[in-house]
Amino acid sequence: MTSRTRFARFTAVTAVAAISAFGLAACSSGGSANSNGDAVEIEYLHRLPDGEGMTPVNEIVDRWNEENPDIQVKATKFDGAATDMILKLETDVKAGKASCLAQLGYSEVPQMFVKGLVEDVADEAAKYADDFSEGAYAMMTVGDAVVGLPQDTGPLVYYYNDTAFKELGLSVPATLEELGTHAATAAAAGKYAAAFTPDEALSWLSAQSAAAGDVWFGSTDDGWTVETEGPGSQKVAAFWQGLVDNKQTLVTERWGEGFTQALNDGALIGHVGAAWEAGFLLDSLDGTPAEGQWRVAQLPDFGAGAVTGPDGGSGVAVMKGCEHPAEAMKFNAWFNTQTDDLASQGLVIAANGTPETSEKMLRQFGGQDVLAELATASANLNPDFVYAPGFASLTKMNETASNVAGGSATVADIFTTAGTTALETLEDLGLPTNK
Amino acid sequence: MTMTTNALPESAPPERKPAAPPARPVNAKRKRRFGSQAATGWLFMAPFAILFIVVFVVPIGVSIRSALFAQKPAGDGLYGGGEIVDTFVGFDNFALALGSDVFWLGMGRVTLYALFQIPVMIVAALGLALLLDSFLVRRPTVFRLAFFLPYAIPGVIAAMMWLYLYTPEVSPFMQLLPEGTDLMGPGTVLLSMSNMTTWTYTGYNMLIFLAALQTVPRELYEAARLDGASGWQIAMKIKVPLVRSAALLAVLLSIIGTVQLFNEPVVMEAANPWMGKAYTPMMLTYNSMMGAISPSGTGPASAYSLLMAAIAGALAIVYALLQRRKGASA
Repeated sequence: MTSRTRFARFTAVTAVAAISAFGLAACSSGGSANSNGDAVEIEYLHRLPDGEGMTPVNEIVDRWNEENPDIQVKATKFDGAATDMILKLETDVKAGKASCLAQLGYSEVPQMFVKGLVEDVADEAAKYADDFSEGAYAMMTVGDAVVGLPQDTGPLVYYYNDTAFKELGLSVPATLEELGTHAATAAAAGKYAAAFTPDEALSWLSAQSAAAGDVWFGSTDDGWTVETEGPGSQKVAAFWQGLVDNKQTLVTERWGEGFTQALNDGALIGHVGAAWEAGFLLDSLDGTPAEGQWRVAQLPDFGAGAVTGPDGGSGVAVMKGCEHPAEAMKFNAWFNTQTDDLASQGLVIAANGTPETSEKMLRQFGGQDVLAELATASANLNPDFVYAPGFASLTKMNETASNVAGGSATVADIFTTAGTTALETLEDLGLPTNK
Repeated sequence: MTMTTNALPESAPPERKPAAPPARPVNAKRKRRFGSQAATGWLFMAPFAILFIVVFVVPIGVSIRSALFAQKPAGDGLYGGGEIVDTFVGFDNFALALGSDVFWLGMGRVTLYALFQIPVMIVAALGLALLLDSFLVRRPTVFRLAFFLPYAIPGVIAAMMWLYLYTPEVSPFMQLLPEGTDLMGPGTVLLSMSNMTTWTYTGYNMLIFLAALQTVPRELYEAARLDGASGWQIAMKIKVPLVRSAALLAVLLSIIGTVQLFNEPVVMEAANPWMGKAYTPMMLTYNSMMGAISPSGTGPASAYSLLMAAIAGALAIVYALLQRRKGASA
C-alpha cells in the first residue's frame, strides 16, 4: 500500500465526516419557498388534538386552500407541551423563520407581547371582532394592541353524576355554600362531590377567584397592581380549606391515577373543572354502567352572580415577522369560525354561535346538549379578569397547593404565593409595578 | 516499500508520540518532512476538531455570551413597549445564580442524593462485573446484555415506568407494603429516584468495570492460584486493585450525571407538584429558560448551567486528586 492511496482514503473519510457535520447545520435552515407564483403562503402552527373521530385540522385547511387559491395555508401540528412550543416560537422568531400564525394560550399572550414575539394587528382584528365573544376577544388584547383572534375558551363549569346525586337526594348546587353542604352529604356516604387538584392550582384557583368576582391584575399610572388575596380569593380559600380539613373532598392530582380511579369506582360524583374537560373527562366510563350518568351545569354562584372564570383557552396569534399579516388574519378569522369542525376537536369555541353537540358527548352526558351549556358558561366569563406578563411563573402555586394535602400549607397560602410570585416576576421582567 | 510508508506505521503516526528522542537533531530536510507530516496530522484531527468546535466550543461560547446579557423591555408602559433588547449586564446573572437560595438548595439535594446513590451503584456494578468475570457464571454474554438493558431504555420512558410502579393506585407491589407508604413524599423521593438511576446505570458502569477486567493478564490469576489464592482472594487482592482507574472513570461520570439530574425529578414532579420547579439545579435552569421560574430567560439559565458545569468540574477534579493521592500512598 502506498501513502497516496492511504491519503486518498483518508481525505474521503474526512470529507464525509465534514459534509455530515455541515449537513446537520444546514438542516436547520429550512426555507418556505413560494411554490406557485402569486399565491401568498401562510404557515400555521397549532397543537389541537386531531384525535380519532375529529375533523382533522388539515382537512379544514384544505377546504380553505381550495376556496382561496391566492392564500395557501400550511398547518403543522406541534406534538409537545405548550411551554416547549413557546420556546420554539421564540427561537424561530429570533431566527426570522417563525410561522405566520401560532396557537397561544391566553395566559401566555401578554408575556409573548412583552418579549416582542407577536405582531400588533389591531386594525385587521377589528374587522372580525364582531364574530367572537367579547371576553375571549379581550384575551387576545394587550393594552391597545390586538395580537390575533381567539379560538376557544375554558370557563369553569360543574360536572356531576346525576344518578348518584339523585340517590343522595342532592340537587344541582346553585351556590358555593350549597356545594359545601352537598360535599358534606356525599362524604357521609363515602363519596366526593368535588376534587381538590393541586397540579392544576394555577389556572384552576385563579379561575375560581375570577368567578368570585376578583381581578388579579390591574394598573395605575405607576404600573401594574397585583391583588390575588381579595374577598373572592378569601371565599374560595375558606371553602376548600373547610372541605380539606373535614375530608369532604378528594385531594388528588388532576392528571394522576387517583383522579381516574375515583371517577371509575364511583367515589367521585362531582368535579369543578374547565369546559374543555367535557371532551375527555368521561372517556374511562365508556362501556361501564356509569356511562351516560354524568351531566354538566353552570358553576355554582361563587358570590358574584352568574359569573365564571377562565381556566385555559387559546387563540391564534400573528407572529413577529409575518410578511402577510392581513392575509393571515383573513384565514385566522375564517378558521376560528368553523364552529362545527372546531367543536369536533373538543373545543368550546370562542366564535359566536353554538355548534352541534357530538354523538360522543350526547352518549356520555345522557343526551344533554353539552355545548349549549358550555356556551352559556363561556358567555358568563368574568370580562375584567386579565393576565399579566410572566403568569407562567405562578405555577409556584401548584407547589404550595401540593403542601395543602399534607397540612403544611393552607389554601389561603396558595393565593399569597400567587401574589408575591406575580409581583417578583413583573419586577424581574423590568416592568413597572405599583406595590 | 517507500520511506514514507516506514515513517507512517500501520497503527499510529509518529506525530502522536512527540517525545521520540531520535528526533532531536533537526535539520532543514527533516523540518520539511515534519511540515508535511504535520499537515497530515491536522487532517487526521480534522473530523474530531470540526465536530468538537461545532458541538462543544461554539455552544459553550454562546452560553457564556448569553450569560452576560439580560432581556430587558425596550420601552416604558405596562408591556414595556412590546419589544425586548439584549442588554449587557456584566456578571449580574452570575451574581444571581451564586446568590440564589433555590439553586443551592437544589445542589444540596443532589449532593445528598449522590452521597447515597453513587457508592451503592458503583459497588453493585463492581460486584456484577466481578461475578461475570469469574468462572461462576455460565453464560456471561446473556447476563451482560440483561444487566445493560435498562440503560438502553430512554430515560424519560424509564422514569415514567417507575412513576407507575410508585403510584399506589396502579402499582403492582404497593398493596403489599404497609398501608400509607408514600414512596414519593418529601422524605422518600430522593431514595426512590436513587433506585431509578441505580437501576438504569448499574449495567452501564458494570460494562466499564468488565472492560477493565478484561485487560488484566490471565497469567496473574494462574500465578495467584498456584500460590494458593482462592477465587475470593483473587477478586479482592488482584482484580479490584487493578480496576481502580475504571472506578475513577465510573465515579467521575456519575458525579457529572448526578449534578445534572433531570429526567427523573421532572417526571416525578409532574405527579408530585410539592417538589416544585427547582427541585434540582438542572430543573431550575430549564424552568428559568421556559419562564416557569423568575428571573427567566437565556441570561439566568446560561449562568445557572455554567455554574453547574463549574461545580461538576470542581467535584470531578477533587475526586480525581483524592484518588491519585490514595493511589500514591497505597
